[in-house]
Amino acid sequence: MVINKKITRTMLENRSSYLGSLVLIIISCLLFTMMTQLSGNMASLTSAFEKDYVQDDAVFVTAGKLDNIRELESKFGARIEEGASFDYAATKDKTLRIFRQNTKVDLPAVIEGKNLSGGDIMVDPSFAKANGLKIGDGLRVFDRTFKISGFVSLPNFIYILKNETDIINDPQTFGIAVIGKDDFDRFDKGSSFYSIKFDPVSGAGGVNSASTNSASAANDNGSIGAREKQFRDYLKASGVLVSQWTDIGDNARVNYVKIKIEGIRGVSTSMPAAILLLTCILTGIVVWRMLQRESIIIGTLYAQGYRRKELRRHYLMYPLTIAAIGAITGTALGAFTLRPMLAVMVSYFNIPVGSITYSAGYIAASLLLPMFFLGISGAFVLQKVLRNTPIDLMKGVREKNRVNFIERKLKLDRFRFATKFRIREQLRSLSRLAFLLIGVVMATMLLLLGFTAKSSLDNLMNYGFKDTYKFQYEYVYRSLQEARTPAGAEKFSAASVTLKSNSDTSFEIVGIEPGAKYLLLKNKNGTALNPDQVIITRPLAEKLKAGPGDIIDVVGKTDSREYSVTVDSIAETFIGEFIFMPIEQLNKQIGLPAGSYMGLWSDTALAIPENQLYSARTVEDSVKDFNKSTEPIQTTVGVISFMSFIIGLIVIYVVTSLIIEENKGNISLMKVFGYRRKEVNSLILNSSSIMIVIGYIIGIPLILTTMSMFFKSLTESVKLTLPVVISYPYVIIGFIVIWLTYEISKAMSKRKVDRISMAEALKAGTE
Amino acid sequence: MFISIEKLKKSYRTGEVETAVLKGIDLKLKKGEIGVILGPSGSGKSTLMNILGGIDRCDSGKITVDGTVITDLNDDQLTNYRRDQVGFIFQFYNLVPNLTVAENVEVVSNISKAPLDTDEVLKAVDLLDKKHRFPRELSGGEQQRVSIARAIVKNPKLLLCDEPTGALDFTTSREILKLLQQINKGYNTTILMITHNTAISAMADRVLRLRSGEIAGETFNGKTVPAERIEW
Repeated sequence: MVINKKITRTMLENRSSYLGSLVLIIISCLLFTMMTQLSGNMASLTSAFEKDYVQDDAVFVTAGKLDNIRELESKFGARIEEGASFDYAATKDKTLRIFRQNTKVDLPAVIEGKNLSGGDIMVDPSFAKANGLKIGDGLRVFDRTFKISGFVSLPNFIYILKNETDIINDPQTFGIAVIGKDDFDRFDKGSSFYSIKFDPVSGAGGVNSASTNSASAANDNGSIGAREKQFRDYLKASGVLVSQWTDIGDNARVNYVKIKIEGIRGVSTSMPAAILLLTCILTGIVVWRMLQRESIIIGTLYAQGYRRKELRRHYLMYPLTIAAIGAITGTALGAFTLRPMLAVMVSYFNIPVGSITYSAGYIAASLLLPMFFLGISGAFVLQKVLRNTPIDLMKGVREKNRVNFIERKLKLDRFRFATKFRIREQLRSLSRLAFLLIGVVMATMLLLLGFTAKSSLDNLMNYGFKDTYKFQYEYVYRSLQEARTPAGAEKFSAASVTLKSNSDTSFEIVGIEPGAKYLLLKNKNGTALNPDQVIITRPLAEKLKAGPGDIIDVVGKTDSREYSVTVDSIAETFIGEFIFMPIEQLNKQIGLPAGSYMGLWSDTALAIPENQLYSARTVEDSVKDFNKSTEPIQTTVGVISFMSFIIGLIVIYVVTSLIIEENKGNISLMKVFGYRRKEVNSLILNSSSIMIVIGYIIGIPLILTTMSMFFKSLTESVKLTLPVVISYPYVIIGFIVIWLTYEISKAMSKRKVDRISMAEALKAGTE
Repeated sequence: MFISIEKLKKSYRTGEVETAVLKGIDLKLKKGEIGVILGPSGSGKSTLMNILGGIDRCDSGKITVDGTVITDLNDDQLTNYRRDQVGFIFQFYNLVPNLTVAENVEVVSNISKAPLDTDEVLKAVDLLDKKHRFPRELSGGEQQRVSIARAIVKNPKLLLCDEPTGALDFTTSREILKLLQQINKGYNTTILMITHNTAISAMADRVLRLRSGEIAGETFNGKTVPAERIEW
C-alpha cells in the first residue's frame, strides 16, 4: 500500500515518542535476554560443577581419626574423604587457605592451566587476579616456593568467603589454593575434616546391600538429612565424637550462588515485564494520538473505499515496526552482553565455565513478546477509532475536548489558577497520567533498589553486628576446653541442632555466661535482655513460629542427642538464627562437663596456639573488611541508578512532549494573551511536579516491600536474615536524582515550547 | 487618535516568491470607537489585525496605540502590550477545553494587573449560572460569550475581534454583536473587528475595506445602528 510510505515519515516527525518506546523495548529485551540466559547458564554451570566434581553433602570434624572409612562408605552407600587445610598469612592482611588435593569428594577443578605435579600450587582466579599472580609465577608458602600450575575451583567453595559468617568476599585479602598430598603433608600443619557424599538411592535395592538396618531406614526416608542422621547415629554408637557438622545446605560458600541465581531469575522476568508494560502504555498513547490527529485522513480513506482491515494493517505497522526493531536490537544486545556478564559473575563465584548455551525459548519470547503486547495495545486503540463511521472520522473525532469523570467531579474553586490548571492538565489524560506515575514509580524503585541493598547491608553490619557483639575477638577451639578462662575473656559453647519434627530445619544453640557483657540482646522496646535466660533471635522465632513459653524440641547434629528448650524472650536482632541460653544449662543438656566451653570472647587478643583453634576473628576487622568489600556494590548502585535515570528521563520527557503537543493551541493562546515565557513554562512544564513527588513517595514503600519479600524468599533456605531498610540520606539522594531527571527533561522540552508560534492559536479549529 | 496606522507594509517570502500582503495601509481610530475591517480572503485583514495586536511584525510603517509606538517595541515589550492593553476574540473561540467557563476567564485574569471580577464579567455576558460547565457543554454562542468574557476581564483598552460571528447563526450572531456593543458603551473599550459580513459595518464608527493589501475604501459612519437592528 502506498500509504505505508508515510510510516517512516510520521515516526521521524514524532521521533521523541517513538524513540522513547524504542529505547524502552531495547532495555526490556536486553535485560530479559541477558538475565534469563545468565541465570540459566549459571544454574547449569553450577549444577554441572557440583555433579562432575562431586560436591559434598556434608563436611564434619571428629575428635579422633576415622580409621574405617572403607567400611563406612560401603555401609552407607557414600564416598568419604579426609581433607585438610591451613591458613597461610602471606602478609598481615592477606590470607591464603591452602587445601590438600582431594580425589573422591570436592574435587578441585582446573579452570585454566595444568593440574598439579610435585611442587605445584593452584590458586583461585579471583585471588590471583586481585594480587597480580599469573600461571607459571612462583608463590611462597612459609619456607617453600610453589609454581602456580593453574587456576582452581572447588565445588564446596564457590563463593570464596573467609568465614562462614561473612557476607561479601574480598579476593584482595582472601583466597584459596590447592597443593598435592605429599606437599601438604610435608608442612605438618593444619586441621583435618571429612567430606561425605551419599550415592543416589537407586530403586528399592537400598543404599547398599551391605547396609541392612541403615538401608531399610533410608528407604523409609531416603532424604539426605535422614541418611546423615543414620550415619551420625552410627558414629555415635561406635564411640566417635563428631564435634562439627556442616550440611551443604548450610554452607554459605555454596548457598550464595544459589541466592544470586534465584535473584537474577526473579528479576529477569519482573523487571523487563514492568518496562514492557510501560512501553505498551506509551505506544498505546502514541498510536491513539496519531489516530486522533489523522482521523480526517482515515475517514477520507474509508470514504474512498479502503477497507477497515487495510487501515488496521497500516496503522498496526507503527507499533509492530517499533516492537520488531526494539526486540531484535535488545535481544541481540542481550545475547552479546551474556559472555561479559558471565565473566563478571564468575569473578564473584568461582566456577569453571564450559560452553555457553542459549535457550531458544527465551530468545523467541524476547523477540515475540514485545510484538505481541504492542500489537495488542495498538489493536485496542485502533478498534476504538475504526468503529466510527467515515463521516464521523472526517468531521474529526475530537476526543481531546472530552472531559473525563474525575475532571467533572473536581471542585477546584479554592485554588489559585496555576494550581487548577496544573491539576486539570494532569487529569486530562488518565492513560498519560498512569504512564507517568508507573514510570516514576519504576524509576524510583530501580534507583532505590541499589540504595536499599547498600543501606540494608550497612544496617546489618553496623546496627546488627556491632550493636549485638560487643567483643573484639572471637576464638573457637577445635576441641572442648575445661581450663580456667583467661582474665577478661568470656566463654561460650555452641551446638548445631535440627528440629525434632523436621531434620531439614537447623540452627545453633549458643551457651553464654549468665552475666555476659560481650553479647547485648534487646527486646522490641530496646531494653537489654538478661543473659541468664533462654533467648531466641527474631528471625528464628519467626521461622519456628515460637514465642516466650514455647518449648522447642531439638536433636543435636553431631551426637543426635534429643532435648528441649523453653523460650523465655525474643531478641530483636538480625544477626542470624540462634537460641542463646546460660552455658551451664546447655552443657548439662548436651552432656558436656560443667565449666567446659568451646570458644572465647575477649576485648584483647589472646595468645592461643593456632593448632588449637578452629577459627579466630575480630569484629573490628570484619567491619573494616565488610565496609571495604561493599565498595563494589557502590559501582552496581551507580549502574542501576544510571539505568533508572535513563528510564525516568525517557518517561518524563515523553510525557512532557505529549503535554506540549496536546497543549500546542493553549501555549500559543497564552503567548497571544501576553503570558511570558517563564509563565508558560511554569504552567505547562511544571504541571507534572506533583506526580513526580507522588510517584517517588509511592515508590519507597513499594521497593521496601518488594525487596523484603524478595529477600525472604531468597534467604528461606539459608540462615541469613537481611532486614530491608533505606537510610534517610539515600531517600534524599534518590529524590534529588529523580528531580534532576525531571529538570533535565524540562530543560530539553523548553525549546519545544519556545518553538510554538502564536499563529497556532489563530488557525485553531472549533472550540 | 487612539490608534494610528501609517504606511504599514508587510510581505511574506516563500522560497523565491515574495508576496506583499499589506501595501502601505493607513488607519485611524478614536478612543471608544468601533472599527470594522471588511475584505475578502487574502486581502490582508488578518495580517493587519495580527500586527496591531502585537502578534506579528511589519516590514515598515508605524503603529501607535494610545501613545505607544508598538512597531518600535521589542519582544518583551510586545508581550507586555498584549498582556496589559489588548483583548482578543477569535472566530472559533479558542477556549481551553478542559477548563471550566470560570477557569477559562481566569486564564487571562491570572496575568492581568487589575482584572475585573470574574463573576461580574460572567454576569455581564449572562453566563454566571454556567461558570462550572466545560466548553463542550455550551452552545457556539455561549462559547463565544465565554471568549468575550475572557477578553474583557483584563479591562483592555483595545478589543480585537477576528470574525467573531463567523461560526454562528444569524440570531446568535446578533446577540454577540449586541454584547460587543454593550461592552463598547459600558467600558468605553475601543473595538476593531474583521469580518466578511458587510452588514456588520452598520454598527461601526469607521469601516475600512481592504482588497489585495490595499485600502479600497474607508467610510465614517455618523449614525451607528444598534446591533439588534442589523439584518442580513
